[in-house]
Parts: sequence; C-alpha cells; structure tokens
Amino acid sequence: MDRAIHRTIIIKNHLLQPNSDQILTTNACLSYSPPELNEVYDFDLKEMRKLLDGHNLQEQDWLFNLMVQSKLFNPRKRGEKVYVAPDYNQTMEQQREMTMKRISYLLERGVFEGWLTAKGAEAELRKLALLEVTGIFDHSLAIKIGVHFFLWGGAIQFFGTQRHHEKWLRDTENYVVLGCFAMTELGHGSNVRGIETVTTYDANTGEFIINTPCESAQKYWIGGAANHATHTIVFSQLEINGKNQGVHAFICQIRDAAGNICPNIRIADCGHKIGLNGVDNGRIWFDNVRIPRENLLNSVADVSPDGQYLSSIKDPDQRFAAFMAPLTSGRVIIAGSSVYKAKIGLAIAIRYSLSRRAFSITPNGPEVLLLDYPSHQRRLLPLLAKSYAASCAANYLKMMYVNRTPQSNKTIHVVSSAFKAILTWHNMRTLQECREACGGQGLKTENRVGHLKGEFDVQLTFEGDNNVLMQQVSKALLAEYLAAQKRNRPLQGLGLEHMNKPCPVIPSQLTSSILRTTQFQMDAFCLRERDLLSRFVMKVSQHQAEGQSKDYALMLSYQLAEDLGRAFSDRAMLQTFIDTEATISSGSLKNVLGLLRSLYALTCLEEDAAFLRYGYLSTDNASAVRNEVQKLCSEIRPHALALVSSFGIPDAFLGPIAFDWIDANAWSSVQ
Amino acid sequence: MASAQSQEDQVLEEETSFVRILTLNRPRQLNALSAQMISRLLELFQRYETDSNVKLLILKGKGRAFCAGGDVAAVVRGINEGAKFFSKEFILNYLMATYTKPQVSILNGIVMGGGAGVSIHGRFRVATENSVFAMPETALGLFPDIGASYFLSRLPGFFGEYVGLTGARLDGAEMRACGLATHFVPSSRLALLEEALYKVNSSDPAVISAVIDKFSLEPYLKDHSAYHWMDVIDKCFSRRTVEEILSALESESTNRADAWISDAIQSLKKASPTSLKISLRSIREGRLQGVGQCLIREYRMVCHVMMGEVSKDFFEGCRAILLDKDKNPKWKPSKLELVNDNMVDQYFSKINDDRWEDIKLPARSNLPATAIAKL
Repeated sequence: MDRAIHRTIIIKNHLLQPNSDQILTTNACLSYSPPELNEVYDFDLKEMRKLLDGHNLQEQDWLFNLMVQSKLFNPRKRGEKVYVAPDYNQTMEQQREMTMKRISYLLERGVFEGWLTAKGAEAELRKLALLEVTGIFDHSLAIKIGVHFFLWGGAIQFFGTQRHHEKWLRDTENYVVLGCFAMTELGHGSNVRGIETVTTYDANTGEFIINTPCESAQKYWIGGAANHATHTIVFSQLEINGKNQGVHAFICQIRDAAGNICPNIRIADCGHKIGLNGVDNGRIWFDNVRIPRENLLNSVADVSPDGQYLSSIKDPDQRFAAFMAPLTSGRVIIAGSSVYKAKIGLAIAIRYSLSRRAFSITPNGPEVLLLDYPSHQRRLLPLLAKSYAASCAANYLKMMYVNRTPQSNKTIHVVSSAFKAILTWHNMRTLQECREACGGQGLKTENRVGHLKGEFDVQLTFEGDNNVLMQQVSKALLAEYLAAQKRNRPLQGLGLEHMNKPCPVIPSQLTSSILRTTQFQMDAFCLRERDLLSRFVMKVSQHQAEGQSKDYALMLSYQLAEDLGRAFSDRAMLQTFIDTEATISSGSLKNVLGLLRSLYALTCLEEDAAFLRYGYLSTDNASAVRNEVQKLCSEIRPHALALVSSFGIPDAFLGPIAFDWIDANAWSSVQ
Repeated sequence: MASAQSQEDQVLEEETSFVRILTLNRPRQLNALSAQMISRLLELFQRYETDSNVKLLILKGKGRAFCAGGDVAAVVRGINEGAKFFSKEFILNYLMATYTKPQVSILNGIVMGGGAGVSIHGRFRVATENSVFAMPETALGLFPDIGASYFLSRLPGFFGEYVGLTGARLDGAEMRACGLATHFVPSSRLALLEEALYKVNSSDPAVISAVIDKFSLEPYLKDHSAYHWMDVIDKCFSRRTVEEILSALESESTNRADAWISDAIQSLKKASPTSLKISLRSIREGRLQGVGQCLIREYRMVCHVMMGEVSKDFFEGCRAILLDKDKNPKWKPSKLELVNDNMVDQYFSKINDDRWEDIKLPARSNLPATAIAKL
C-alpha cells in the first residue's frame, strides 16, 4: 500500500513539474568517435606487423585484395563500410558450394601456383602465409584448401615416391584431382595405430584390396569426402600373407571426374556441425575396393609384385613413427592459424572497447570508455600480450618446420604438439572473453567473435586432441631426462639445458623492476619446469616400483603430466618472445614489446596454481605479481589500438562493431 | 605569367545564402593547381567548415578543363619547394575526404592527377559528356598520388589497377559506371543544375543527391569501352606483379583484337618501370588502408621520388613530357625485371631526414559517418 502511494506521488510530481520541458530534454545522441582520433601511435605499426607476420606480407596483402574485390566473398555494406565474410545463413550445401567457388577463383588467379611443385623453404613460407590469409576470411575455406594441399598433397609428397610425385602433384596443384585424407575412423581418432580398415594384396592381379570390416572402421570426418573429392589417401592396416604389417597409406579413387561415386565405395555425410559447415565432411566405407599395387605410398615400405613385404625399417614402432612424422605440418598450421583468430577477436573487442561507453562515475559526467575500466583492461590486455607471445612462438615453429632436418624432427614433434595445444586453447579462451567483452553485440554473427568460437573449436581436437598432445610432450621430456640420466650426460635440446645449471633462486622481495626483468621471468618459468619434471620422473618411477607398467604409471601421473606440459610450453614460448625482442634495436617498439612480454610472463605466474602449490612463489611474491599485472595493464592501455592495428587485419575482415557501430545500425541502413 | 595572377584570382569565390561556389581559374594552364591555388582552397575549406552559414560547396573549373593536375613543372624546379607543395596538396585532399559538409564537383572537362585529388574525395562528382579522366603519372615517372591509392583501389574489381597503371582515359559515362562520378549530367543542363543547387539550404547528402538526380541521366557506355570487359580486366589486373599483369594482357591480346588491350599494353610498355611497380604496390596497400594512411604513405613515396635515390625517372619524365617535350623518356632502370623488391620497398620506408619528415595530417573530429568510414 505504502508503495502504491509512493509511486502515485512520484507520478503526480512528474505531471505537475513546472519545467517538465527541461526534465524531458534528452541527452545529446551518442555519437561514434573513431578510436583513431583519440589514441596515439607510439611506434611504427608497419614495423610491428612485419615482426608479427614475419614473412610474405605483400603476398598476404595481394590475397586480401583478391578477396575484398570479388563478389564471391560476399561483401556486405553496413553503414558506410563494406565487410567480407561468408553468408553463414546459407544452407550447409550452399556454403560448401561457395567454398568450392572461392577456391576456383583463387586457383584461376594463381594463388596456388607452386604450392606442391615448387621446392624450398621460401616456397613453403609463401604457401603458409597465403593459407593463413584464407583462414582470416573463413575457416572452412582454409580447411578445404589445407586438406587438399597439406593432407592429400602432403601425403603424396612425404609418403610417396617419385612415381607418385610425377603422377599427382601437378594435377593436385591445378585441382584436376580433388584430394581428401581418410585416416580417422568412427572407432579410432588420436590412436591411429588402432584403426580397423584392412588392406590385403592379390598377387594374381597385382592389386590391393581395401575393406571396411565393421561399422566402427568407417572413415569419419573426412573433409572433402561428402561432396567434392575425387581421390583419397586411405590409411589402413596392411596384411601380407596373413601377417599384419601395421598402418600404411594408399591412394584410392572415390569419384569419377563427373562426380559419381565409384563402385564398391559408399559415402555418407557427417551432417551439420557447430562450425565449418563450408567443408563437406563425409564418411567412407570400402567394400573390396581394388587399387593398383603402385598406389601404395611406398616411401617407408613397399610390396613387391609377387607379394613380398619390403621395408628398410624393421621395427614396426619406428616404421609408424617415420610415417607420422611428416604430419607435423598440420600442427604447425593450426598453431599459426589459431593466433590469427585470437587476433581477429582482440582487434574487434578492443576497438569496440575504445568506442563504447558504459556508466558514468560522476554525476552528469560522461560515461566511461570500456577500456578505461581497469577490470576490462585485465580481461583483454593479458590475452593481447599472450597473443603477441603466441605470434613469436608460431613464427619460431614455422621457421623450424620449413628449415627442418632429420635431426630436428623430434624437436619439431614436441614443440609443435606443445604449441598447437597451448595456442588453440588460448584462441578459444580469447574468443570467449572477447565475445563477452562485446556484450550483446558479440552474439551477432556479423560481428564475428562469437561465431568464430564454433568455427575454431575443432582446432582443439583435430591433428591430435590437446590433452593427448600435452601428455606426449611430458612423455617426451621424461624420455629425455631418463636418457640423459642413464648416459650420465647433461640434458641437451628442447631448451632443457637450464636443468644442468644450479636451481634458480627467486628473490623474497619482488620489486616492480625485478618483476619486469627477463632474468626473473625466465628463472620462475625454469624453476617450475625443472621441479615439475623431476617430480614427474619421481612419480612415474614410484608407480613403476610399485609394480605398475610404464604406460599405466604414466596414466596415473596425469596431474603432473598436465602441469609439466604447460610449464614446458610456457617456457618455450617465453623464450621465443625474448629472442624476438632481441632482434629489435632499442626504441619505442622495443619498449612496448617489453611491457607485453612482462604482462605475458606475469599473467602466467598469476594464473597457474602450480607456482603457489609447489611453493615456487611465496604468497607475498604472488601478490606482488598480481599488483604488477594490474600496473602493466594500465601501461599497455594507451598502446591498445596501435597493438591491434599492428595485426594487419584489414577492416573488411573485422565486424561492424569494430567501427562505426551506430552508423552500421542506423535506420537508414535498414532500408 | 600565371604566377603574376593573385591568389584570389586563381580561385574565384561566389556565394549564395548557404552555398559557396569555387571556380578554378587558370584556364590557359587547364586550371593546373599552383601552390597559391592550393593554399587558397585550403584556407577557404577551413573557413567554410566552421561557418554555419555554409551548407554546401561547389567546385568547378573555368574553360574546357576542370583541372589538369598539379602544376608539376613548377614542382620540379625546386625539390624542397616540391615537398612543401605536395604536403599542402595532400592536406587539402585529406580535408576534402573527411569534410563535414558536402562538396559537389562539376567535372565538365579534363580531370587529371591533382584535379582528381580535389574532386573525387568529395561527396558528389558530376561528370558530363565533356569529362576526360586520367591518372597519367606512371608515364611521367611518378605514381598516382593525391590519395588515389584510396579511391582507385575502391573501384569495382581491379579496374583501379587498370586506370592507375595504364593512365587510360575515361569518359563521363565510364566515370559514372565505375563510380568515380556519382552522377552524369549533360553539360546543357549544368546551368540549371547549378541554379537548383544554389537554392539548397541543407547539408543532408540525401537532399543534395535528390537535387542532382533531377538533372541526371544514365549515360550509354560507348561500344569499345574497356568497361565492357571487366572480366578480362579483373583476370589480368588482379595478378600479383606488373610482369604477370603484362603477360596476362599479352596472352589475352592473342585471343582478341580489342583496341583497349593493345592500348593498355602500349601504355604499360611506355611507362616508367619503377613507377609501375610502386604504383601497383601503392594501390594494393591502399585498398587495405584508410584515406589518412594512404596519404601518409603516398607522401613518403613522393619524398623518395623527389630524393631520387632509387630512380630519377620523375625528373626524366618531366623533361621528356613537359619541358623538352620529346616524349621519349629514358627510364632508369629501363626494364621491369631490373626493379627488384628491395628497390620497391625503399619507396615505402620511413625517411630519417629532417627535410623529409612524415606529413602531419590535421586532427579531425565530429565527423559524419561518411567521413569516418574513410579514416
């Protein structure tokens, strides 16, 4: 009752208010002020982009140009600006056809020239740089291209020999054949050695016979299989004279040039997915499919015409490892592409936070810019710093990959596993945070950040589940440690040399200047890694002493394995950041990189519970770190626009909320 | 002598209650922009922006040209003067591109180089049957500057590369078709159009557009217009390098005998190889940049051209085309393949020399959405 009276009085006052005009005057309409007008650029953006992209910038810009200028890339005008992105409102089938049309256009323009026929590190870098740009437009486009060139084409390059190269590489480059890559089955993903597809040899006809013996052996998730691919690589157990020789790869035609499915092949669709609907993932069954003997990719092992199994590598474990080694390219690509996706998210969310205001903190004062809230800085800027670290890491990995030697294979395997996992997790976390930081606008597909989560979630799974990869990293570190111990030699390689030195000591009083030194940061990271590695070694041997098998002991030690995997990855990544920083001569660019490196390192210290759990940092240390993170955020805040502008992602590839979102949503643009 | 003409005379100013009409007035020089004209235009544009009585600006040229470009011959006479000239001109271009009030340019004649710079950045461009548009810089050892890397790169497909590299001449209908002009009005109706515009009392682009629409028509493209072959233009001019563009054109020309293709090939072969390469890079970068970034970059490029450390083609071009008029420039490097990526890179690098400081564009605020989108 009181409440009703109270409200009546308020309404009465409103109505009787003498100066009701004044009260009802509206605030001046919000107007969009481009962040460029208010923010300063303290360093040369072009230099920074060069540092981040590393190579083939002109080539990348050319491809951006090709996409922006073609109707095929679905340009849409929002307000005064034009954006390109696929029309995700199309049906799955339409999206797939658009992906193919875009590929044809790029093919005709010469984008893929030399992707399989040119040799050398330079050609590989060009290919990687261009692929990254296709992914900035659309993940489906990049994946469809990636499957064709890197999986199908890569399998022929690496598993095949001259006869395969001559027959297939040029035709693949020109899309005369469309390839796919049938490894995963319904019943087996990460565990490739367990696949159930079986191939036997018929010496009478000189043919292999491929079979899908049970439903769990159907090939699953095969990109390109559902609609377009004419050929596939088939991974299968090879049985010769009743003896299983392990997993081998074969070339098999699945469609004719007119697109009809070949006899004895059955293909079904994987259906609609949470993202990547522009890729036609399919399932394949083989019913006594006969292929010529020459279709065995025979770089590691061969079968003679009369049916003898021949391999220079006698140990099946080693044979399998030799087989899988070239597949590293997938992880290198995923690690690199996930950094670009995080960059898109950050460029959008940070640009928005520099133009969107909410709440005023003084009566009648202007509302506060989102990025001027320290809490908002804390949400986005550490992710920005880590994306810079991730760029350095991805470049390092890429360079190591294109300059690979037989000696570096192990390092590439371990580092690519580590970075693939860490960088893709970072990407998903970043996209989620950016989505939330954009509020409701983050939910609109045209604003990209939210939608990208669905598109890129798969990165956590394909080319090795992240958790499995991290366990492999720890397992590899364990092996290194034990081998060094056994031979009584210092550790060498994988950046583990620090373990041969005395244990670093963390000062009890951490001042701001100590916290910002590479010395302290590296010490803290090394301390964590060496301690976790010795704990992991101890734990595993303890379990083994209790009579468990080595594999079971590893399984039981998963907690330390996870912590160690992260510790290794973080340390390796920090090292790449420090190395990159060292290439820059002193000046404003170097200064801002220093801030970013410190923010990256200290955020790791703040967020990984291992530092407190195992006492690498005291609780006093930990609070000093936390304070410094906040300080660093406020020091990086003025550079935020310059830092996202340096990503070099053209405006058209960001969303309307990254620019004049008022104009983009105006009534005039509805009509 | 033109320089004897006072600043006021070179740009005539008329006014109605809400409209200002500026006429470029050096008809004997085809209204080529002198330093005085640029200063005068800058001063007037700045004044009108804060004058609430001014709602609309009209810019036109006296005689048979709208404006044939910057007064390049004068520029070459003094190098440091030259940098100053370009710097003022680019600031004027930037001001026009981000102007808060609509500018209507009446392009009833020649529009080249700097003439495009003072018109295309504005909101409305009216072409007529007398319009002749070209960006002929590559034939002069320069590159399309005045913010051309911004607007050329935004033409449909790869038409901008075609126009910017070959220096092809476009007529009014082609200008309208590709979007360089927003309207086409027959010259016989220009007097009526101007009369109607004088009465405008609004800065609303929709209102002004509606006024011009009343006098506009959709012109027919001539049969042999290159614009009919946009697919071929796209296919050739989207190639990554100048060499590839040229060879794509040559292989097209074996299949078809269209005049525009052989003209384009001829133009590319006659142009400065260095100019072609930096122009292509400039347009490609410009497509991904705002107008301010484009002008800053182009200014750096202009400084490198004037410094002549990689090539002195600009001076040679001016000698051959403007001074000696032998039309036979000796380019150095003389061939496309002699201009390598490092040489091209140099034109885009920052110059650490006080005499060639980066251009400082004026800070702009309270811009309309049309101008914000260009930033």
